Amino acid sequence: MNVVRLIVMVVLQAVLLEAVSPFGEWTQPQWALWALFMLPPQSERFTKLGFGFLLGLGLDLMMGTYGHHMVAGTVLGGVLPGLHQLLSPREGYEVTQKPTLRDLGLQWVLALSFLGSLLFHLALMVVDTWHAHLMLGAVMPALTSAIWTTCCCLLLHLLVVPPGRKTKG
Amino acid sequence: MRNLWLLLQRNAFLLTFLLLLAVSFGVLVRHDGSARSSWFRTTGGLAAGVEGQQQQWRDYLELAEKNAALAEQNAQLRSQLLSMERESGWRMDASSGWSVATGRLIKGPDGHSRSMALGIPGADAGLTMGMGVLSAGVALGTVVDVGERYTRILPLLNTAGTWSCRIGRTGNVVPLTWDGVDRDRFTLSDVPRYARAEPGDTVYTSGFDLLFPDGIPVGTVESSQLSSGANFKSVFLRPLVDMGTVRHIEYIRHAADSERTVLSQPLPSP
Repeated sequence: MNVVRLIVMVVLQAVLLEAVSPFGEWTQPQWALWALFMLPPQSERFTKLGFGFLLGLGLDLMMGTYGHHMVAGTVLGGVLPGLHQLLSPREGYEVTQKPTLRDLGLQWVLALSFLGSLLFHLALMVVDTWHAHLMLGAVMPALTSAIWTTCCCLLLHLLVVPPGRKTKG
Repeated sequence: MRNLWLLLQRNAFLLTFLLLLAVSFGVLVRHDGSARSSWFRTTGGLAAGVEGQQQQWRDYLELAEKNAALAEQNAQLRSQLLSMERESGWRMDASSGWSVATGRLIKGPDGHSRSMALGIPGADAGLTMGMGVLSAGVALGTVVDVGERYTRILPLLNTAGTWSCRIGRTGNVVPLTWDGVDRDRFTLSDVPRYARAEPGDTVYTSGFDLLFPDGIPVGTVESSQLSSGANFKSVFLRPLVDMGTVRHIEYIRHAADSERTVLSQPLPSP
């Protein structure tokens, strides 16, 4: 299921959803990140790292940006286990818990989506600009884009797995 | 080996992360010109810095060896110097008629207005009174007394001497004196007011005093002073040689010195 979700989101972003950017470079959405955020927090950290790498690879292949999304995806995949641990409830994740609004709540979903998106966009900004003197000017667009991506992920949560609907195991 | 394997196992996630990151960067650098140039510039600068630091350390560590080599070379040179015989005899320039012999100053002018200098060799090397003395090709003085092994030299740095000079190669011939005060300043007196003397101009010997050939440099013009209404001005110059540090000198004499001296004497009154 996770693999299918990843493929679908990568294709959708590359073909269709990339254009959903009301304020140009200030709101560059990364819809495919939602597929990564939907990985269960209890899953193996190698799985998360591999998914991050594959997400970047898929985006690069589809969008012709060789290496840019791979770097950002790998960074996010490598840090995602740490983020899950950072946001884990005091008693830890239950085996049946899914990373949805219903199971882990709005605050958890928002925090994970924003921190993950911010990390991804910052990594993408670094490899896009490359020059230190240009990075300062690219930080703000990266931040606003991360907020926009968080909004997009929240929208997908509401559309695909709304709080009232029970997720399938 | 087992410990290494355990270490790798313990850090497997980090190593995998770094490996995937390296692959990603590899793809990026391979396909993105900007990233590639930035990467090579960064790594090139880093490599140059590391290499420079290594070179510094290498130089520092090799100091002892270099020092020993230099000390050995120094000892060899000193040995050669001690075994060398002092060059003697006269070298003659056939075209101008001037001959040169080397010597050494064993007492230089001390800056007092009447101080003399003492040089070697003396009469035993064929030196006679009235010879010009140079240092590194610059006029230094003239031989006024000759002993068996030593010569007394009247340096330019003495108020008793007057030397015939000219400003530039073709300027007016004027006398040069020292005021006995500032050892870095000679004075050309009685310079016609129309004569050009710009700061930096070289002053040469004129050869008219028969002590030096024409065109031996003496100093460079520093300034000039013209009193109002006067027809002559004074020109001040800085000597080209530091009299306090001179050690090696050259004596010069003309092949027809005695003939020139006799013919330059005033005619006997009838």
